[in-house]
Amino acid sequence: MDEYPAGSLDHNVPFLLALGTSATATYGAELIASLKDQAVLIRSELPVLDTEQAHALLRYIQSRDASKLPCNARDAPTKHRFRVKTAERSILLPPRRARLPDGIEAPPTAALHSPYSPLSPISPLYPDGIMDAQWIRKHQDLVPSVLLCFYTLTADPTLATLCDNQIKTDVNNIRGLLSQSGYKSKVAVVFLSDQGARLDHLQERLETLRRGCGIDPKLSFFVSPNDSQEELERMGENMLTTLYTVSMEYYRDLGRHCRKKRGRGIAPQPTVPPTSGTSQTLSLAGWNVRYDFKSAIFAEFRAEMDVALRSYEQAYENLLSSELMEVIPSWSPRWNDARFLADVIAVRCLRCMLWNGQHSAAARRWQVHRDRIADFLDRRSRGTRNYGWEAWEARWAIVMANLVEKAQIPDFAPETLKLFLQPEKSAMGERLQPWEHLHHPGYWYRLAAKHTQSRRAFAHQIPEDDRRSPGASPASHVAKSAFAYDTYMCPDPYEEYPLNHAGVDHGRMIIERLMKAREEFLARDQFRFAAEVSLECARELGLVKEWDKMVEILLPLWKDMAFRTEGWIAIADELNWSLRTAAVAVANAELVLAVDWELLSRNFPKRSGWHYDITKSLEGITLESKPTVSIPDGRILPFISTTFLFKDEQGKAGQSVKSQLLIKSNAHQGSPPIVLSGVGVKFTGSLSQVLIKHQEGDSSEQKHGSVSVSSVDLARSAPESDLTSSDIRLNGVANLTLAPGQTLVFNLDIPLREPGETQANSLTLRLETEAFDLEQSLNFPERNTHNFWYISASATKRMTRPDPRVIKVLPRPPKLEVKCPTWKEQYYTDEAIHLDFELVNGEDIEALAKLDVTLFGESPPLFTVNFPDSPEEENKEKTSTNIRSEESSLIGASLGSISPSKSSVIYLILPPIDRPTQFDLTIKVTYFLSTNPGTPITQTDVYQLNILNPFETNYDLLPRVHPEPWPSFFDTDGIPNPHPDDPSLPIPFKGLCQTWSLQTRYASFTSEPIRIHDLDVQINSPLTIRCSAIKSSSTPPLPDNPIIIPPQQIHSTSFSLSAQKLSLDDRSPTPLDILFVIKWSRTTSNSSDSATINTTYLPIPRFNLFGTEPRVLATTTTTTSKDYITLQIWIENASNHFLTFGLSMEGNNEQFAFSGPKSITINLLPVQRKCVEWRIVPFVDKEENDEEKEEEKGKWVELGGLVVRDKYYQKVLRVVPGGEGVRLGKEGGGGGSLEVYVPTAAGRKDKE
Amino acid sequence: MATSLPSIACLGVIGRNNNPLHVAIFPSHDPVTNTFRTIRTPLQFSLLLSSTLDIFELRSRQNAAAGTGLTGDYGLLHAVDERLAAYGYETNTGVRFVVVVDMRGKKPAKAIGTGTTRDGLREGEMRPVFKAMQGAYVRLLQNPFYDPDEHDKVPGKKIRSRRFEEEIRRIGEGWGAGVVSL
Repeated sequence: MDEYPAGSLDHNVPFLLALGTSATATYGAELIASLKDQAVLIRSELPVLDTEQAHALLRYIQSRDASKLPCNARDAPTKHRFRVKTAERSILLPPRRARLPDGIEAPPTAALHSPYSPLSPISPLYPDGIMDAQWIRKHQDLVPSVLLCFYTLTADPTLATLCDNQIKTDVNNIRGLLSQSGYKSKVAVVFLSDQGARLDHLQERLETLRRGCGIDPKLSFFVSPNDSQEELERMGENMLTTLYTVSMEYYRDLGRHCRKKRGRGIAPQPTVPPTSGTSQTLSLAGWNVRYDFKSAIFAEFRAEMDVALRSYEQAYENLLSSELMEVIPSWSPRWNDARFLADVIAVRCLRCMLWNGQHSAAARRWQVHRDRIADFLDRRSRGTRNYGWEAWEARWAIVMANLVEKAQIPDFAPETLKLFLQPEKSAMGERLQPWEHLHHPGYWYRLAAKHTQSRRAFAHQIPEDDRRSPGASPASHVAKSAFAYDTYMCPDPYEEYPLNHAGVDHGRMIIERLMKAREEFLARDQFRFAAEVSLECARELGLVKEWDKMVEILLPLWKDMAFRTEGWIAIADELNWSLRTAAVAVANAELVLAVDWELLSRNFPKRSGWHYDITKSLEGITLESKPTVSIPDGRILPFISTTFLFKDEQGKAGQSVKSQLLIKSNAHQGSPPIVLSGVGVKFTGSLSQVLIKHQEGDSSEQKHGSVSVSSVDLARSAPESDLTSSDIRLNGVANLTLAPGQTLVFNLDIPLREPGETQANSLTLRLETEAFDLEQSLNFPERNTHNFWYISASATKRMTRPDPRVIKVLPRPPKLEVKCPTWKEQYYTDEAIHLDFELVNGEDIEALAKLDVTLFGESPPLFTVNFPDSPEEENKEKTSTNIRSEESSLIGASLGSISPSKSSVIYLILPPIDRPTQFDLTIKVTYFLSTNPGTPITQTDVYQLNILNPFETNYDLLPRVHPEPWPSFFDTDGIPNPHPDDPSLPIPFKGLCQTWSLQTRYASFTSEPIRIHDLDVQINSPLTIRCSAIKSSSTPPLPDNPIIIPPQQIHSTSFSLSAQKLSLDDRSPTPLDILFVIKWSRTTSNSSDSATINTTYLPIPRFNLFGTEPRVLATTTTTTSKDYITLQIWIENASNHFLTFGLSMEGNNEQFAFSGPKSITINLLPVQRKCVEWRIVPFVDKEENDEEKEEEKGKWVELGGLVVRDKYYQKVLRVVPGGEGVRLGKEGGGGGSLEVYVPTAAGRKDKE
Repeated sequence: MATSLPSIACLGVIGRNNNPLHVAIFPSHDPVTNTFRTIRTPLQFSLLLSSTLDIFELRSRQNAAAGTGLTGDYGLLHAVDERLAAYGYETNTGVRFVVVVDMRGKKPAKAIGTGTTRDGLREGEMRPVFKAMQGAYVRLLQNPFYDPDEHDKVPGKKIRSRRFEEEIRRIGEGWGAGVVSL
């Protein structure tokens, strides 16, 4: 906006002139020289007020100056708006009527006109100009709407009248001069009084003065001498408000006058008809534009923006109409004047719109003006493809930016972060151009910069002939080129881009505008857009070779902007190359190296002709010292990618873990290989660093394609004595030559020291050359789906762990081993369990150990632990305690110290357990190493003790006939005498006797054969009977000759059981509890171990002896010499009753023949046994059988016909076998099913 | 001055990590030479697309605060000058579509007189473009061989799909003021 003449675009504010106080600014200097001698001088004769109060008031009035306030309806004060100027005692006003210049004869009828009018020959507009900035300045700067005169009232009563008269004269003088001049400015007076003036007289004096001066009482003000600053300000405020209404009246009158003149509808004639040029005078249309413009300006003074806008638009339309601009030839200076006026009107229109909040309308108006002017130029003038047009475009954009700034739109405050405004209501819903959303000034500045760039481009196209100064060119050429260029508000071609000296500094203009734009973008968080502008700016700086500034502007972008990480490669590339160029120029080696390092990446497009050799980067740069560059991770897009993998998820302290470091180059193909001098891997946790140095010619390398795998031996660099140092560095060497596209894989064996989590953090690459040192840090990527473990150079395996950079190091495993050499698979009941435990110290040093033994299970027994190695006698044996019912334990038994690779032995002895059960035996050894006494190391072993019953048994109790005769009532000899005289002797048993045969069958359920030492029964008889058992004769195992039985095989033993009751009278059934006793030992135990014979007691289900029911027993007797068998049937009557039995034997069958009673009745007394005998001859075909069944020793023959019947109850009694050779037949029940064994001849022979 | 119509100068697909996934540039009509040429270099279009990211961020912040903008259509992002304007759309997954419109990119079918009359754009005129782009992108995602996550990791990795590229090209060339569906 500054390029436009002063005052032409400024917002118009009512003009107040304060007269009569001292002020720094002198008034009247603005009056142009040619008018100075014609000017109207208004002078006040009184001295200048110099009191403190006058100054304070003036300062206040000046501080209320509204000319710099933002141009919008919201911020504008409503009470008063003044542009305040001050003058001491005299002012110069431009003449109302301009005199004719010398030498021009005026016709007598001619009227003189204002010097600013195109009618006056003195005006630059004469004769056909429309309007210029001078007229606006006249009203804004020269002719006040209100003239505010300051006077002082003297306090001295003697001088009062004199002074008052002087004031009266002065005011009248001013008013007279003013009315003579023709201006209608209002005069107002301020009276200030000296200290000590008496107030009662003052009122009177003031009244007199007002009357004497003829001033409207409204317009005279009095400041009391005693007024405080606050009262002064209040008074000043009231005064300005009053003056404002007067001022408004003044401008309204002027506007009315204008409209009246326009309403006449005729073009006034100039004072003197023009004689030069085309002799053309301003047309009526031109006058109308002038009047409309004036009306608009006066409306703007009145802050009536709607009215102003209407008038401006009218003036604009008329100006660009076919009657005015269309007829002005483009070579005429009036063409540019008209363009200028169009610009001014357009700017004022824009301001009115912004004032009213019509933002989109303003943006549209801005474009419309540009388009119309462009259209005009294209049609009527030199077109729009030249530097002049671009200069104007740039200016036009800046004007808009300035207007928007000046309007101070609240929505554009940077805090709102608004980039553009929504269209106002009236424009909503229309088809809007995007640009018609009013954007913030940054955009407009950038637009201006763009047009300036175009302007430069056009300027650079100016042919050389035109670039010479006119003095150096042939006149004909000057004449020719004079009208070829559009020089509206811009220099001629020989100034714009002179041939041999500097002309317009386009670069500086562009940079200035770009920087302004950048500020606006940054203020609104548009960092990326600001970066774009910065890039453009840097390019311009590069053109003018301001390298320092270029680096300054690009470096923050290069460091902080996310272009490269977000993948805007083209932008990052541009940034890199620009920065490199600048960095080379300022010899910033670090920057050059960093950029070159990044540009090696294949992510960036390859620039042909570039060497891509990092070692040549610093060629052509002179440096004082060898530069060292350290590039942190994330600063650049590195061409080297890296991963680090631990092979296992977990490792143990003290062991080492396999890991792989992978370094991959993504450098441009064809770039020379890079020889890294070293790489270092940093860890968190107990490891600190692994360093690999470069060494040529590593033979262990395994190559396949672009992949090379090698193993690196790592050695510890810290001295061994420094064991406690946490800073552990491991060193190795490998070939670190990295060709483009190559992948280096290093297998590392990393020892783990301390438990915890260890993570590989970052890789540091070092490149050391003669010219520089470069260091690049790379963090290992956190989530990498392509974690491949190189088994060999050609084979990979995918690592499925989520984060293979991390290894969990478990605590050092216990090396003290618990062994149990005598452990058996199976333990049995009734067996004392001896367990030997051997504690072997596998550590390198002595271990101080403690032992905890715990037995879990259902009521575990108390056990004993022997410590044979214990030096103290009382510690040799310890017994466990029961803490809870299911736990028996021995806690904290000291084992003493165990030397390395030695062992300590303990014996655990469990007492025999009498039931099958299950126990968990936990052996926990806690030990300390002398090197690390604070850290207990625990070894825990759990053994499961399964205790099983070794045997399974079943039993039968078979009745037998007791050989002794039953006592007889009639035989007193048979009844032993009691010993009444000696009570101490036991009462002899006189009761009934019975014999039984106890059949036991047992099988071992062990997993191995066991040795049976003895079998026995233990009888637990009640007191009423006596009972004894004798093992039957069939192969009895003897204690000195044990038998070995294999598992699961059934063995049987029988015992003969005889029992007698104490008393004969007692005939109730008696229960008998018997335990079967097996003495056994394991076959696996040594012969010397024979002492450990276990005794298992197996309870036999309870038997009942001695019933009162009669029983019938059958026995046989065979004789070897005879062919018959004697069958005895014993009938026992244990009851107290007399019983009668009928026995019968059927003889008519083919099985056998018999001799004896066929039917017999037997009477039995109470407690009597009787026997009936038969001889049985079986019909067996012995000869045939001998031949056919030689093997058979005998045969069972059924005695079908034998029936024993209770005569009284008519009940058949069961005949029970009572010895060998008789059994019950398969039919069961009834006497008929009794079978007897008939030995064959062979069987008999065997017996013999 | 002949009237000219808006056309699409550039279509951009930007990933949720602000990474460019696809950029298609379309030539504009140059009335001076009566030829078609791109009005900016690819670098300038890159910069232009990247500059919209700040605005996306800003708008999503403002939308979140105000609880608006649920459709993802951000409308006009900004106009860089009186010719080029950028419009934006954000999908639920954070993928952003940017349409750069050249307000004078299309040569009118027939010059209808001269003058400075110019058609603007109504609000929502870009909706068919976004819809079509989203459709194309969804079809791309349906391709089991396309892994969207892969693009988040490798800087500068672009979408490589002939079908997608063709579709975007069709959208860019087919759009004009008043086009309702693509």
